[in-house]
Amino acid sequence: MKEDLLDIVCCPLDKHDLELDATEREDGEIVTGTLTCTECGETYPIEDGIPNLLPPDMRDEAPA
Amino acid sequence: MTDDESPGDGPSTGSVRATYDRIAAHFSKTREYAWPEIETFLDDRSGAVGLDVGCGNGRHTELLAERCERALGVDLSREMLATARERSAERGFDYGLAQADASSLPVRNDRVDIAVFVATLPHLPTRESRVVALDELARVLSREGRALVSAWSTEHDRFDADEGFDTSVEWTLPGGEGVERFYHIYDPDEFRRDIEASGLELVDFEVSSGNCYGTVRPE
Repeated sequence: MKEDLLDIVCCPLDKHDLELDATEREDGEIVTGTLTCTECGETYPIEDGIPNLLPPDMRDEAPA
Repeated sequence: MTDDESPGDGPSTGSVRATYDRIAAHFSKTREYAWPEIETFLDDRSGAVGLDVGCGNGRHTELLAERCERALGVDLSREMLATARERSAERGFDYGLAQADASSLPVRNDRVDIAVFVATLPHLPTRESRVVALDELARVLSREGRALVSAWSTEHDRFDADEGFDTSVEWTLPGGEGVERFYHIYDPDEFRRDIEASGLELVDFEVSSGNCYGTVRPE
């Protein structure tokens, strides 16, 4: 994901701002990292360049 | 056919996700082109932000990326998102992707000028979750924002019913293995009622190729 995606996305639970912590960047994109809600503190992982913004109770549900 | 909604083996959101995770590569190959109804909706529209809810391989997100300064595609299935990322890189499209649930969209209020919510609503397992997803669409649309919502309908030749019903429809993988997908098949009046029950207002409605299409705006 690109950092400016944060202008559009928010926490799926309370719709507040997300704070980025990038651990791996490549060509201006964040490949790995986390997004943390500034209100409720919930943390959402970024893996393979795609943030997982599912509500936490759906995150581990039914892998293929 | 299944109408069992017990957790685990019923038509839960998790099983729809697992199915699409499994069929993603093959499904994507059979979804090469945009539907004409979506192209008609997008004709002459433009805006700052476009959103595709249930983007699959991104075939409609690409059209939003052409018409908006920025576009975002969200999908429940991580494998479908992987096909979208690959396809957008191959074709030179630049848009954002996120894994998300239509009933709890991770998108800011009043942020979206054009949205498409195509062939996704029928995968949500209960009427409540479908109306919540329509409310979420209403929340993220800007005052002048417009969205196109589509759902498979009882008007399709393959169904013999006048009222909406729950079913499962098989996807056949290469090699012949069948994988079930949950669908709520809408009758046109019910489709209009669910939209009216949400924070959306119907601007235009048609049944085309066996699908209900509603152009909507926030109330």
